[in-house]
Amino acid sequence: MLFQIDNLTSGYGKIDVVRSLSLHVDEGERVGLFGPNGHGKTTLLRTVSGLLPVNSGKIHFRGEDITGLDPRKIVELGLIHVPQGNQLFPEMTVQENLTLGAYIARTDKGKASNFEKVFALFPRLKERRSQRGQTLSGGERQMLSIGVGLMGMPELLILDEPSIGLAPLVKQELARAINEIAASGVPMIVVDQDVELLLSICERLYLIEKGTVSLETADVSQVDQAEILEMYFGKVTG
Amino acid sequence: MTPEAIVAIIASGLVSGSLYALMASGLSLVWGTVRMFNFAHGALVMIGAYSGWYISNRGGLAKVLQPLGKNITTNSADWGVLGDVLHPLGEWMLSAKGGFGLVVGVPVAIVFCGLAGYVIYVLLIRPFVGKPGADLIVIITTIAGASFLQNGVQVLFGPRYKQLDRILKGPPLEVLDTAIGLQEVLIIVLTPVTLILLNLFLKHSKLGLAIRAVAQNDDFARLVGINVNQIYTLTFIVSSILAGLAGLMLGGLFFILPTMGAEPLLRAFVVVVFGGLGSLPGTIIGSYAIGLIEQSSAYVFSLYWAPVVLFATLILVLIFRPRGLMGGEES
Amino acid sequence: MISFIHANKKALAVVGIVVFLAIPLVVDNKLLIHLAILGMLYAVVASNWDLTLGYAGVFNFAHLAFFGIGAYTSGILTVKLGISPWLGIPCGAVAAAIASVIVSIPAIRLRGIYVALLTFACSQLVLLLLLSQPLITGGQQGLTGVPQLQIGDFRFRESKFAHFYLVGLLLLCSTVFLRRLVTSDFGLSLIALRDFEEYAIARGIPLARQRLLAFLLSSIFPGLAGGVYAHFLIVASPDIFGFSLAILLLSMVLVGGVATIYGPVLIGVVMTYVSELMASSAWMSEIFGVSRGPVRFMFVAVIIVLTMRFFPQGVWGLIKQYSARSRMTEPAEGEDRV
Repeated sequence: MLFQIDNLTSGYGKIDVVRSLSLHVDEGERVGLFGPNGHGKTTLLRTVSGLLPVNSGKIHFRGEDITGLDPRKIVELGLIHVPQGNQLFPEMTVQENLTLGAYIARTDKGKASNFEKVFALFPRLKERRSQRGQTLSGGERQMLSIGVGLMGMPELLILDEPSIGLAPLVKQELARAINEIAASGVPMIVVDQDVELLLSICERLYLIEKGTVSLETADVSQVDQAEILEMYFGKVTG
Repeated sequence: MTPEAIVAIIASGLVSGSLYALMASGLSLVWGTVRMFNFAHGALVMIGAYSGWYISNRGGLAKVLQPLGKNITTNSADWGVLGDVLHPLGEWMLSAKGGFGLVVGVPVAIVFCGLAGYVIYVLLIRPFVGKPGADLIVIITTIAGASFLQNGVQVLFGPRYKQLDRILKGPPLEVLDTAIGLQEVLIIVLTPVTLILLNLFLKHSKLGLAIRAVAQNDDFARLVGINVNQIYTLTFIVSSILAGLAGLMLGGLFFILPTMGAEPLLRAFVVVVFGGLGSLPGTIIGSYAIGLIEQSSAYVFSLYWAPVVLFATLILVLIFRPRGLMGGEES
Repeated sequence: MISFIHANKKALAVVGIVVFLAIPLVVDNKLLIHLAILGMLYAVVASNWDLTLGYAGVFNFAHLAFFGIGAYTSGILTVKLGISPWLGIPCGAVAAAIASVIVSIPAIRLRGIYVALLTFACSQLVLLLLLSQPLITGGQQGLTGVPQLQIGDFRFRESKFAHFYLVGLLLLCSTVFLRRLVTSDFGLSLIALRDFEEYAIARGIPLARQRLLAFLLSSIFPGLAGGVYAHFLIVASPDIFGFSLAILLLSMVLVGGVATIYGPVLIGVVMTYVSELMASSAWMSEIFGVSRGPVRFMFVAVIIVLTMRFFPQGVWGLIKQYSARSRMTEPAEGEDRV
């Protein structure tokens, strides 16, 4: 098993947002997380990448216990978290942002070819490589965010709400890119509101509600997609 | 105003501006990255000057070594093998009678300032990073630290004034019939060089890039694997070295005394408020602007009124542009 | 023991005050009396500083300037215009109050670090202005020949008690005033603005007005104390604005405990004793020689840092915490009456 969370509880101060949550990702697998806002998905990801302390439970990655490790150590192991909301270094150029994505020593060797890969995936970033981050459009920022993540040579890539706030056309372009990354064999955890997008990328889905897993699908290729959609929306409305 | 007066004002304005730029850019860098304001920055200026003096001057370390060296050379014959080893050391101590000179003094002072800055960071700032109200607590702890260092230096070196040797000796430079001392010329030339080096470091080195990354988005910096605490420490050391350089330059112009850092620190406050905290270009432009304003108002009004004009301007700027003349909105 | 203290809080306070008042009757050491007077004056400034720093949460560095303005105003009016010190002292308080309003107008619009920078700059501006007018203020040397306080033929400096009781009364009035203020609706509104700014504003508390009032109300007693200080020492010196005194007073507020009033009052007197005795004691001069002056400021600096690191709530906070805990664990008979 590539990645495993057991009975994780975490949150801000004394308030637990994630409550005894367990999930796993197999080798080469892509897993989607969805569910209503404010139910702990982002908190979960921040805890996994070491930005938030773990209150209880265990996290394992490639057989190693990474519970409570420093974010830096987690990145060095190849677990790369692309945070929500177009995070980047606003006053740096696209090129500098990508360079910082390859900050850790592990990525030194592949740096040049990684630049090539990112630019091939997002040609628009290549055009704007000397432009400052804050001057990019929303879609371009999201591309850059993901690009910075790819520069870190992920063994497991975590994307938090990549499609949020994007126009349909831009979203399509992004979905194509993410599918391309997926096709190259990078394992992923993708969090998004857009279940259709998740279905197009992922092999399994988890529904997160009230800080814990409330539903887990089998391999989505084996299940009727309409059924899943109905399950989700049915739950929300019901 | 005569042309001579204008040249004199510009020259002295550039000298003050250079000193403020060295100090304020360090303050600004630390504010931008660590989000802390270091009131002990002036004490680091003083440490730079004193450590430079202690190494370079005959009245400093060299003076302490004389009796020791004499003791070793006269008695080493009785100490057997140990004496043979120590004898050259004693000779060396005696030969350093005139001090070690600025060639040794300046680098040692720079290293020492970096070290002092590290100690200040570890003892007075790091324990509070990330706690609520830390920026205000740190004002208090660094003020206390400045008081400790100022008084400590007075205990160690006494209240008598010291002076650094001038780096360049020779007749002053004549510009349009106005004499400008070589030390002043050196300061005017060296400061931009230092600031350009700083800029190159921040723009093109891996660590410099990381410093800017932490300043712009510390959470995202953690997610690309930057050791944020290490970058805080590094930023503080860089800022301390800049303060030390300012001290070495100041020590060659005026007397060195325990309170020498207080006045320039106040000016540096004015500068960072003018230029906007955390903005390096704003800080540097602000430094030279303040230096020139100060020197010209000293000429137009009087030496006493110049600081009054300066602080009154500062208060006005704060009233109308709370984030500084060039400062943008804080995110 | 603790519960006993709690049961008889008021009685103990009265006993404490009586004992303190008896000091000049029992103690014959002139230095000790002198230090007590100085300590009480500093305690006035420190506890008023606590109103803006602790209760209003405004990082104000101009408080010593209010004290200095009081000293210089009364000094200049009595020396240059020949008016009575008894008129000069209230004039000093008025001048301090005016200065506090002038400082607070820009200060209330700013936040955090900028407030600190502005108030710091303001106090330096006052100092620079004083130094720039040596004919009126005496410049670096300070204003000398300030007349001493007297009633009829009775000269205060010739009596052991007069200054002691005058300053004691000032401290008592100031402390009662401050305690009433911080427990009043006004005090609560300051705390609300400090801790829940947005909520407090939403509930209709006028931020600017309350903070301006906090500045104003906390400047009056330091202004009075400044005047008394100048007439007590018969000099108004620019040292009042110096780094060393600022550090000493800051230590009183912090070590005493921010937002407590009693803490700075208590520690104000204690710190003055400790630091002045360090400067004059025989063993200090034996160990440190002429360096004992600087050494005592190093000592004060270490105390400040240790307090911020390990006891951020200060001495009074510790006392309160300890007594609250002991009250919870061993309810005393006396508690029932409360």
